[in-house]
Amino acid sequence: MSAAYILAKDHLKSFVRKISKGSRLIAPVTNEYGDTLYSEINCLDSTQIDTQHQPQSSIKHFFLPQQESILSYSVSQAGEYHFSNILIGVPTVFFGVRSCDLAGLLYMDVIFSNPAKDPYYFKKRENSIIISLGCNEPFENCFCNATKSGPFLDFGFDLRFTDLGDRFLVEPGRKRGMEILEEFAYFFNDASEQDLKDQYQLQLESRSSFQQNVHVDLAIKKLANEEVGKDVWQDLADRCQDCGGCAYVCPTCTCFTITDQPVSESEGERVRSWDACTFAGFTRMVGGHNPVSSEHSLRRRFLHKLKYDVSLHNRTSCTGCGRCVGICFGGVDIIKFISAVCES
Amino acid sequence: MQYTLTTCAHCGCGCGVYLHTENGRVVGSAPSKNHPVSRGNLCVKGWHLHDFIHSPHRLTTPLIRKNGVLVPADWEEALDFTATSLTRIKKDHGPDAIGVVSSAKCTNEENFLLQKFTRAVLQTNNIDHCARL
Amino acid sequence: MAGLATTFGSGAMTNSISEIEQADVIIVSGSNTTEAHPQIARRIIDAVDGSAGLIVIDPRKTDISKFASVHLQIRPGTDIPLLNCIMRIILDENLVDDVFIEMRTENYVVLRDMLYRLDLDETAAETGVSLEKIRRAAKLFGRAHKGVFCYCLGITQHICGTDNVRSIANLAMLTGNVEKQDTGVDPLRGQNNVQGACDMGALPNVFPGYQGVADPTAREKFSRAWKSELSDKPGLTLLDMTHKSRENGLHAMFIMGENPMLSDPVQDKVKETFDSLEFLAVADIFLTETARCAHVVFPAASFAEKSGTFTNSERRVQHVRQAIEPIGDSRTDSEIITDLSAGMGYAMAYDNPAEIMEEIAMLTPLYGGMHHDRLNENWGLQWPCPDRNHPGTPYLHKHSFTRGKGLFQPASHQEPGEPPDEQYPFKLMTGRVYHHYHTGAMTRASHLLSRECPRALLEINPEDADRLGVRDGEYVTLSTRRGNITICTKITDRVQPGMLYTSFHFHEAPVNKLTIGSVDPTAKCPEYKICAARLERIQS
Repeated sequence: MSAAYILAKDHLKSFVRKISKGSRLIAPVTNEYGDTLYSEINCLDSTQIDTQHQPQSSIKHFFLPQQESILSYSVSQAGEYHFSNILIGVPTVFFGVRSCDLAGLLYMDVIFSNPAKDPYYFKKRENSIIISLGCNEPFENCFCNATKSGPFLDFGFDLRFTDLGDRFLVEPGRKRGMEILEEFAYFFNDASEQDLKDQYQLQLESRSSFQQNVHVDLAIKKLANEEVGKDVWQDLADRCQDCGGCAYVCPTCTCFTITDQPVSESEGERVRSWDACTFAGFTRMVGGHNPVSSEHSLRRRFLHKLKYDVSLHNRTSCTGCGRCVGICFGGVDIIKFISAVCES
Repeated sequence: MQYTLTTCAHCGCGCGVYLHTENGRVVGSAPSKNHPVSRGNLCVKGWHLHDFIHSPHRLTTPLIRKNGVLVPADWEEALDFTATSLTRIKKDHGPDAIGVVSSAKCTNEENFLLQKFTRAVLQTNNIDHCARL
Repeated sequence: MAGLATTFGSGAMTNSISEIEQADVIIVSGSNTTEAHPQIARRIIDAVDGSAGLIVIDPRKTDISKFASVHLQIRPGTDIPLLNCIMRIILDENLVDDVFIEMRTENYVVLRDMLYRLDLDETAAETGVSLEKIRRAAKLFGRAHKGVFCYCLGITQHICGTDNVRSIANLAMLTGNVEKQDTGVDPLRGQNNVQGACDMGALPNVFPGYQGVADPTAREKFSRAWKSELSDKPGLTLLDMTHKSRENGLHAMFIMGENPMLSDPVQDKVKETFDSLEFLAVADIFLTETARCAHVVFPAASFAEKSGTFTNSERRVQHVRQAIEPIGDSRTDSEIITDLSAGMGYAMAYDNPAEIMEEIAMLTPLYGGMHHDRLNENWGLQWPCPDRNHPGTPYLHKHSFTRGKGLFQPASHQEPGEPPDEQYPFKLMTGRVYHHYHTGAMTRASHLLSRECPRALLEINPEDADRLGVRDGEYVTLSTRRGNITICTKITDRVQPGMLYTSFHFHEAPVNKLTIGSVDPTAKCPEYKICAARLERIQS
């Protein structure tokens, strides 16, 4: 059995319809305001899947929601507490996941397995099917070539789609992908040698057309050897306006906080919500002392991505998606940071 | 998860924000990339725009002061009591005995209605909001 | 607003927010932009990174001042002498825009003569900033091709707020920095729909669209549309209601979504008013300090539970879209108003907010072309938008000022209503912080925002703290002639010696118990930015 198949573009919609029967379908959709978002599609006939634009946020919030109830509690009149875990995992097909976002998901798999498996994350993760889409043309701020997480990530997906113009090349990855291909074999033809050559050509072209030239490897080396000037960190601290946006849009930033919130006098919920390591309250101790200065918390965030994770997992946890680029209130972003490090 | 594009309510910049809802609860806020003000990012207040919506401290029922204490009441009673009181005071002391404060946090349509109510029903121009504060 | 309205004829931001980053020189005055208007600060920082010059006028070191080419750290309340100095230098350096002045303005001679009479050294001394520094700023702005002047409540919340604004307008006209794209005068509006509430006539003297209640033609128009006799007597301003209800014969109040107990100056007076009213009704989403004083409280729906429009600082009318059903038994403010109106025998029948907007468009030329179905295009529309085919107006005063010619209105220095003295030696200023919004009812319900900023902090200069023996984080008693509060200190050189600064978001440290009741006589804006205060350690 060959490892690659062809799906005619005409049949994409019916294929997606078939595999998402009984499941929730999430795919990139460009809405009436021109924003492309990974969206829940209820009706494939009235909604167009967008395979041309980069979704503006990653798929992180489907696995680690911005705010999620993880436990509910109630107190009986006798004063007895009753707790119940809230584990939600709706079977979901994710179609059109970009390599950077897949890389982010694979990173979260690691984070949420160590030291113990996070049940809330894995309940969702185990109920998901990931169909990725290679990027024929890198988007404006992308640099996944430099972080080795794209534009055609070769692992981690259930199925991978490559847009060959009038047809998709479809490759299985994980076991579930193989099963889908077998179950819906009638949609597919075996890929020819020419199809594979076309894909190879596309990948070459894509790799050579990045608009951003980011020297991630050099920055990693300089950060590892602590060859970075103090002014680089000071500039970051001076410019940070504390919005948390870079962490919130990042596919691999997974800091969260947990609070108990009463719902009524006798009931309440434990809520997990997004947090950011750059917030002062993230490290402030009871009594008001903060062992970590704002300069240090910013430094730590960037070192986490480009130094600590490299030494732990042998790869950076920046996936080169470019989402934090151009959105900073203080005019910094990871690309500017990396070039400042390289020049330092 | 549904996305509803709306306008942020936490300052005069007016960012385009998507509210994320799941099962009737707002569980997230995210910026619009194309919106001319938000352009892909929000300030910390904007990113936490949804936090207060389901606060247990939200008022969920009308209250009426009885024997000095605010107690729950139904809508009809609260509206009746208010309409009767305002009508009586207008009759006894004239329209200018009533003052109305509108809100820079409410919508244009609500502000319009409240000033219309003040001018056409109460028949006074005693309406202001805290523009200067 | 009154200042710009008399000068240009329209009291709103003349530019669009995105124009700011195209400017080549920006002045920011009395605005803690990074904290109160982050998106505008983002444009300013982008402009500076792209080589624009930035002049910050603020007694405090703010985050935006870190990006400034010149930071003019004036003594609080000396904006007018500073601006007059700047204008005089521009005059001396021959950097005035003669053509603009000739074609587009009037009353220039009066300003010019006033400036020539000025003793520069003396005036500069009043501001506490060196003349050399002022000269640098003046030359920088005078040479700008595209100059933008952003200001906020640090300019208006003074006893001379209106004159402060007029001086800003004078400077803009003197240098020809209005009328073109990427240049202008931009008052940054504090709350999300302040602009809209003003536009909609939630003001005592005007109908929607600034049509005067005293103007017979306007009154006739609204009277016909609403089928009701309308009063021609301008009404009471907010502070006239909350401070002087008895003198003004007020017996009842209806308050929708505001919390004057925390936001208005001299809190004890406000409380006294509310307690003395025969009837007080409040509609709000939380049981605020104000709602606690009411006879009736209506539970209102939040912005996520209703649809309608907000108008932002750049005059952009944008959709608010309903995401969920109203919480519990709460109702939208529209429903509350229409039900109340019906209860008083006046039926208001609207199917939806779009229908209300149709009535607004019909009666308000400024909003003539604002229809809900149009607001999806191009992210809403900026007023003025007089008809259905009008594309909206990104920047104002393109060919002529709203009032015709721009009016120069010279102003001179005015001492604050309550200068510091021996008994109350500090100048107390109030403002906002990044993590909270207005009286904190919404933002303090957020766990994270509360964690990031859990309490009000009183900023005090290290010199003063040393002298008084105050430690960082110590609770102290802060008092003025109106009363005292207990508040936590933060020692920082963001404030100059002799100055104190804090925010009004926290009911535990209600700084508006302390603020002064004096107001700018024209705009009725309270003097939040200066009053005399004393600080004492708490004896245990």
